Amino acid sequence: MATLTRPFEKIGGRESAGGSASPSLVTRMRGWLAAWLPAIPLLLLIATCLVAPVLVLIWESFTGMGESGLSLDLWFKVLGQRVNQSAISTSLVLAALCSTITLAIGAPLAWMISRMLRGSRAFWLGLLNVAANFGGIGLAFSYTATVGTVGMLTLIIQGLGFGYSAPREGSLPALLMAYEYANIPLFVLLTIPAMSILRDDWWEAAQVAAATRFTFWRRIGIPILTPFLAAGWLLIFTWTLGIYGIAYGLAGQSGATAVNLITLQIGTALQSDVLLGPGRAAILAVVLMIFATISLILYRVMLRRALKWL
Amino acid sequence: MAVSAVTAATAAPERRRQTGGPGRAARYLFFGAALFYLCVPMIAVLIYSFATRWTANVLPDGYTLEWWQATLSNPRIQSAFSTSIMLATLTAAIDIALVVPAAYWSRVRNARIRHVVEVTAALPFALPYIVIAFGLMQFSGMVAPQFQGTFLLLVAGHAAIAFPFVYWAVDGAMAAAGIERLSETAEACGASPFQAVRRVVIPNISAGIVSGGLLSFAASFGEFAMAQIIGRGMDTVPLWSAEMIRSYSDTAGSYNRLAVVTLLTFAVLFALSAVVVYWNRGQTVRLLPGAGATNPTEGDRR
Repeated sequence: MATLTRPFEKIGGRESAGGSASPSLVTRMRGWLAAWLPAIPLLLLIATCLVAPVLVLIWESFTGMGESGLSLDLWFKVLGQRVNQSAISTSLVLAALCSTITLAIGAPLAWMISRMLRGSRAFWLGLLNVAANFGGIGLAFSYTATVGTVGMLTLIIQGLGFGYSAPREGSLPALLMAYEYANIPLFVLLTIPAMSILRDDWWEAAQVAAATRFTFWRRIGIPILTPFLAAGWLLIFTWTLGIYGIAYGLAGQSGATAVNLITLQIGTALQSDVLLGPGRAAILAVVLMIFATISLILYRVMLRRALKWL
Repeated sequence: MAVSAVTAATAAPERRRQTGGPGRAARYLFFGAALFYLCVPMIAVLIYSFATRWTANVLPDGYTLEWWQATLSNPRIQSAFSTSIMLATLTAAIDIALVVPAAYWSRVRNARIRHVVEVTAALPFALPYIVIAFGLMQFSGMVAPQFQGTFLLLVAGHAAIAFPFVYWAVDGAMAAAGIERLSETAEACGASPFQAVRRVVIPNISAGIVSGGLLSFAASFGEFAMAQIIGRGMDTVPLWSAEMIRSYSDTAGSYNRLAVVTLLTFAVLFALSAVVVYWNRGQTVRLLPGAGATNPTEGDRR
């Protein structure tokens, strides 16, 4: 970006440091400070509270809590355990299912909302924004109050005379339903801006060329939107993998019968030091990081493709 | 370039109506279902907060204001709310205080700040809070054990995970206001950098500061994983709620009180997001992170 040079103050950094007469250390320091000083507090916060913690976890996963040098021992031990294997696979299945359902419902919803009149669009955006902000324990509780074993809808269905029993609070279907409550609105909010890329003229042009609505979507609409939708899918997938509050709230109610997730395992490993304690939590945390990194990279690729149409 | 596509499409809905779509009835049904889906849980929680006993029949056996009174006068819940509000306020304040100078400097002086900040802003979005929280706990245990389990560390952690909200809002507002030119002009008129920031920059990006601050407040207020791991023994609203939801007992009315607290939390978040949406006039606040180009910039909204 344009670097502003002011007439009345010489700015340090590259320009002065690159000069033929090498400036003294003090001048160089001053130039560096002039370039970075206002950002230092923020960068310090980022370094100590985001970057260092991540590095520490990666380090710990290889050192096994500082016993002997670098080794993969802890990795083999932890990944060899049944609990952790099933936690990882359940988390992946749950996240994939969840984001696919989100995509299937959220994409048409986003499309329709993007083509609404201003007033009703604002209404829906407001409503979705509220729902997307709803999460954690509060969402877990409202799930329980609505479709839990003694929730309102469950009682209504039973009151109508159906022999229905709700899925247990900590089961996979229950978690799916609770997650979707926040995920679908989030997905819609994320993808609505992309929907406006599909221009109305294109649909008109397609109609002139005697295309049906189906052909339009198959040949133009879906191909253009796919990278955006895929990027949205990846984000929801990553976020779902990392959900802890809702799962903790719901799984806590059904104790040992609850599903086994990576995040829940991290929580348990931290609270009770049985199995391998913090070392196990570190490995599971690094596993989550690996998944997050992979989907972030894919996300960038998708986004680059998507933005081609702008 | 991005902008023309966006404005063309947003100007279109009037015309779009005639194209009809997949049948009016189907559409109404779809939106009706969505409305139902979004509203029913809130209604259920609302009824729960007034119910005496509600485990057998379609509607509660009776209604009472007891839970509201008991909850609002409960000292533990009061202290949980005041802790959470303080935590969230500090988080927002720290984030604003740190982000505004950094974002400003990255625009007027040193673009390299932007690269660093943007790459690290992806961290709290990609990594689960529980991972960051656990890492922070381990790291603080290594370098500064005296901070472990303190309110201060929790504030720092929340400030770290919420800073991207403020950064994006503030940076967007700076782009929209054309802050480079403004500060250049201010300086040409003889303002010191400090004066330029205080009298020119901040007034022009106040909308961004407000919405960024509110978003970070909301993120901190509802955050559970980090509060549980770092703030062990503290009482924030999510921590209290987690304890209640786990210790379900039918007689103690813990769920009814939880319903009251859930509604209060919800009211806070609702008010915040209403302000943010109002401030941004019907535009979506969240966009695909990193897709800056799809984002109609503030300037185009008029």
